[in-house]
Amino acid sequence: MAEKLKLALYWAATCGGCEVAVLDLNEKILDLAAVADIYLWPVAMDFKYKDVEAWPEKFIDVCLFNGAIRNSEGEHMAHLLREKSKVLVAFGSCSCFGGIPGLANVANATQVMNRVYQETWSTDNRDNVRPQTSVRVAEGELTLPAFYDTVRALNQVVDVDYYLPGCPPVPERIWEVVGAIVSGTLPPKGATVGVTEKTVCEECTRRKEGKIIRAFVRPHQVMADKERCLLEQGLICMGPATRGGCNARCVSVGMPCRGCYGPTDRVSDQGAKMLSAISSILEATDEPAIKKSLDSIVDPLGTFYRFTLPTSLLHRARVERSK
Amino acid sequence: MPDQSFEPKIVGFLCNWCSYQGADMAGTARMQYAPNVHIIRVNCSGRVDPSFILKAFSEGADGVLVAGCHPGDCHYTSGNFKTMRRMPLVERLLADFGIEKGRFRLEWVSAAEGAKWARVVNEMTEQVRRLGPLNWKEQVVNR
Amino acid sequence: MSRVTIDPITRLEGHGKIEIFLNDEGEVENAYLQIPELRGFERFCEGRPVEELPRIVPRICGV
Repeated sequence: MAEKLKLALYWAATCGGCEVAVLDLNEKILDLAAVADIYLWPVAMDFKYKDVEAWPEKFIDVCLFNGAIRNSEGEHMAHLLREKSKVLVAFGSCSCFGGIPGLANVANATQVMNRVYQETWSTDNRDNVRPQTSVRVAEGELTLPAFYDTVRALNQVVDVDYYLPGCPPVPERIWEVVGAIVSGTLPPKGATVGVTEKTVCEECTRRKEGKIIRAFVRPHQVMADKERCLLEQGLICMGPATRGGCNARCVSVGMPCRGCYGPTDRVSDQGAKMLSAISSILEATDEPAIKKSLDSIVDPLGTFYRFTLPTSLLHRARVERSK
Repeated sequence: MPDQSFEPKIVGFLCNWCSYQGADMAGTARMQYAPNVHIIRVNCSGRVDPSFILKAFSEGADGVLVAGCHPGDCHYTSGNFKTMRRMPLVERLLADFGIEKGRFRLEWVSAAEGAKWARVVNEMTEQVRRLGPLNWKEQVVNR
Repeated sequence: MSRVTIDPITRLEGHGKIEIFLNDEGEVENAYLQIPELRGFERFCEGRPVEELPRIVPRICGV
């Protein structure tokens, strides 16, 4: 009787969507339970940090770690689970690339804290109470993790064995990867799994007639043809710069791809690649016309790096140091 | 406070057929100009992927210069039209990242324009010197 | 005064830590709930096009 796989799932700066993606295996979760024992899954089972600390080294066979590294608790758990796991998988776009929380790299910790605890219009914090890493109360000392200026992906903190991207990863792909783990057919370490080798465009069933763009449009400016390539209609779609594996789920319901599966493995910076691709297909050939076309792109950084800002070449925007 | 002793490190992507020849001409004509541009020769300015520019900044460049043939004169006919379309968007992206306007420059330099090359390098070196070192890794990423 | 720390709280979405302080009679003197997570949506949603918000803010909670 083969020994069951020791599985751990943990979350850092997360939304819980990756947990739901695993639950979206639906009845297959019973097949998962047949081959694996889950030792750690905060959303579903109880554990305490001291339990994890007490595990021997490499106790866990596979750890699926989702969420970006935003604070010292996430960093600590990344190191701890790296030590306690034979195989560490960056699960979901946040741990693979930084994900949506990675957009916070447009600011620093002070700016985030100021906005959250003081400046938002619905906040009433007259005493300017702020979270502290350590505070004395009548009974003793309370501590909180340190909040970093910069959001990082998992591989910017520890060595990662595999990457399973997606926001969230598609359940069918998760199941395929579980199958590969159980049958011992994972590719060599360092690989991205649960993906295809090509871009979302290959999976997209929309009609492609030839990409020449005069100008980009925002969704309220056009009645999009349901059958035609969205990018060809002027709607920015990250499909050409995004790895496939998601079955083009967003595009198939009329939402342009926003790149959550990250770049293909031949690309170091998803945003730069997309920028290059869409400016190459513009029709304009003189400066004023080019400027006019490009002005119709409203938020280059936030659109091209929606999920991958921390793992981009520049990693974050330049703002003054946190005080 | 601009440091007048600061020597900017500027990475220059020069196309083989026009701008590299122009820079070469400046050299053979013994023109004196700032030595701050480190030249990387590419076959066409259209070869310059935006990721090259971002990588240069992230790896320590204080400025990046892209030079190609004048529009209409591209050795590969339309390579520099792609450059023309990409670089303004690169500039906007750099601004979003907090990299000031003067640190990136796109220039058309023909094989006969050695003097223009020297002038552009001198101008850009002074501009980047005024802006100061960028030191992306030390100042921005590592905290 | 003794102290019971529950770290992390589990079986819910989110991160949390509870500190319970007991007096010498073993009764709860005080208890604190701390939320050791923050991502800053309030800040990084600024500057994004309004039509993108329905695609960004669902990532506040995937449950």
